[in-house]
Amino acid sequence: MTRIGTLIKKEFGQIRRDKRLLISLIIPPTIQLLLFGFALNATVDHLRMGVVDFDHTIQSRDLIAAMTESRAFRLANTYFSADQIGQALARSELEAGMVIPYNFGRDMERGRQPDVQILLNAVNANTAAIAQGYAARLLQNWIQVYSQQGGVHAQYRPIAANDVSRQGHVLMHPAFLFNPGLVTSWFIVTGSFGVLLILNGSMIASAALVKEREAGTVEQLLMTPAGTGEIIVAKIAPLFLLLCVMSLFATALIKVVFGVPFRGSFVLVLAGAMLCVLSGIGIGTFIATFTKSAQQAQLLAFFVNPPLASLSGALTPVEAMPQWMQPLTALNPIRHFGIITRSVLLKGSGFSAVWPHMLALAAFTSVLLTLSVMRFRKQLG
Amino acid sequence: MRRVFAQMRKELTQIERDRLALVLALVLPLLLMMLLGNAVSLTVTGLPIVVQDLDDTLASRDFIDAFRASLTFHIVSWPPSRQPVDAFLTNTARAALVIPEHFGRDMARGRNTEVQLLIDATDANTAKLVQGYADQVVSNYRPAPAPVKADIRLWFNPGRDSKKFYGPGVFVMGISMFPALLAALAMSKEGEQKTILQVYVSSISAHEFLLGKIFAFALIAMAEWFLSLILLFTYFGLHFAGDPSVFIVSTILYAFCVAAFGSLVGAAIPSQAASIQAIQLGGFLLIFLLSGLIFPVQNIPASLRWISGILWGRYYIEIVRDALLQGGGWLAMWFNVFMIALIGAVFYGLGWKKLRRMQLSI
Repeated sequence: MTRIGTLIKKEFGQIRRDKRLLISLIIPPTIQLLLFGFALNATVDHLRMGVVDFDHTIQSRDLIAAMTESRAFRLANTYFSADQIGQALARSELEAGMVIPYNFGRDMERGRQPDVQILLNAVNANTAAIAQGYAARLLQNWIQVYSQQGGVHAQYRPIAANDVSRQGHVLMHPAFLFNPGLVTSWFIVTGSFGVLLILNGSMIASAALVKEREAGTVEQLLMTPAGTGEIIVAKIAPLFLLLCVMSLFATALIKVVFGVPFRGSFVLVLAGAMLCVLSGIGIGTFIATFTKSAQQAQLLAFFVNPPLASLSGALTPVEAMPQWMQPLTALNPIRHFGIITRSVLLKGSGFSAVWPHMLALAAFTSVLLTLSVMRFRKQLG
Repeated sequence: MRRVFAQMRKELTQIERDRLALVLALVLPLLLMMLLGNAVSLTVTGLPIVVQDLDDTLASRDFIDAFRASLTFHIVSWPPSRQPVDAFLTNTARAALVIPEHFGRDMARGRNTEVQLLIDATDANTAKLVQGYADQVVSNYRPAPAPVKADIRLWFNPGRDSKKFYGPGVFVMGISMFPALLAALAMSKEGEQKTILQVYVSSISAHEFLLGKIFAFALIAMAEWFLSLILLFTYFGLHFAGDPSVFIVSTILYAFCVAAFGSLVGAAIPSQAASIQAIQLGGFLLIFLLSGLIFPVQNIPASLRWISGILWGRYYIEIVRDALLQGGGWLAMWFNVFMIALIGAVFYGLGWKKLRRMQLSI
């Protein structure tokens, strides 16, 4: 124990003198968390809509007003032909277009069911899917309001309809749980938390382990009575502590700046964060066993990290990945930590709901660290 | 000019002898595109939902079948005795459909029946998609006669194939990352191994030296572009939507811009490990997240949007998507081409300034 204690003291002394490491542990993660939380937003609103109104009646103007006064669409321009709208869509001046035909108002009053054409730029599939929903609902609402207005209106009904064949309709009431205001940043921030822990953990750990080898001081360490396992543990312990402080800091940011509700147990999130930090360190040490210099370690991290970060469900939903790829995300620690933070913070899940993910993180860490120790022993022995 | 070509040939020979570099330049971008182009997306399918059927009649089961038949939802079994919200706490489902008692009776009587859809809104975007999809399922179940019919047409990507949107984005990411990385490594290696001193004592000028490097890596970027384009045309099923001349001109400028960025980083940071980190920030994080690859640029708050405004990748992503999907041509994209050229020129100027100063000080 004293041996490990001395080694840990040595590592702490080294880190204390390394101002750059301390700064790099606090400043970049803070900036990244703030930047991602504020900037990344998939909300679809204020889509620019161009309108061609061939009808120019009260009804058509009323419909245009109903469609464009919402936050979903805003009236960008009016055009004189459908071709012009098509060109404007191709030039990305519009995201949506609406064409109201001649005799729209007259047909409505006669109960004839006129068509309204709505064009959406579907290059971005996500925007298109959401905008389609908006357009359909806005039109539905308008129809409801319109048919309840005073005055004489023809009620549209198929000719064959009579009371015998009349059927009921299903009215669906959606309720958004856990995040009724649909704040996007809650999703992004809780996801990027794990990305930051893993990326920084792996980077710092691999740098610390490779440094000794690069400087040639690894032989001196081996001459001491300490074993490989002890050396690695001593290396990891101070990094672990520092990263834990960083994750506390990040949690405070999440709470104070982004106002994410803390519905579950804070201790549970912290325990998850510790396990996540350990898996990050595990990845770093594992990378370090394959490399001889800081440059190689960085290069390897360059190829491990982007796929790890982007295939984790931290920033995009896992369900959007191809079917065969989804089970593979079980091997990604960022995914597990993301589930833990979101379930505990936003939904208030307890330990019984998230323990499999805790276990996965723990297993991940122990496998990687054991492998690293084994590989180091072989290389150094 | 002869010296520029000599410098360029030297760089290309160096790369040719470095296996790792070749793999980096030509194979990895393709792998990345296959992997991420398909997987990084916001449009979800196969969402797990649970159904709590309190009615349990023919009508309610018929209604559930409408959900079961959709591609977007798949129904997970859930015991009726447990609260549907529990399914959200354990992450088994994204939404829960609650069908009340007397659903079948009310339908048969021709009365309107209300059902509830509980949506886990932890992920706001997915929640909105769920609402939209469920709306469509319900309104198609027994369409109400409406006084107005909406014909919604999806242009440029009628199948809402997200691969076609994200594929070009990941393509831009690859082309921004790897040539820049190679250029930065080559440049900082000269600084690290002090071979840059040999350059200083030779008769080559800073302009010639820098241009030689940039042309070599721009050539690699073009080779990568060509290979990736084949993949875009085959695997992603894309094709030129209009006049390809904008695309070709801007690609040449972009290759220059990316290579100049890499050379600048390498010249400014004479340590290979640190320059890799810089490229990771500029080439990956910023381009991946702030260029509209996944998250639209318009949504970035105005106080931060200027960052996207100076990101070279953002302009190129718009050009690629326009060329392969929309076909807006020069009229729509001239500003983007101009910005790429401008940013490339700024990188070149900064790199030249850096090198010229070093040359004088020694």
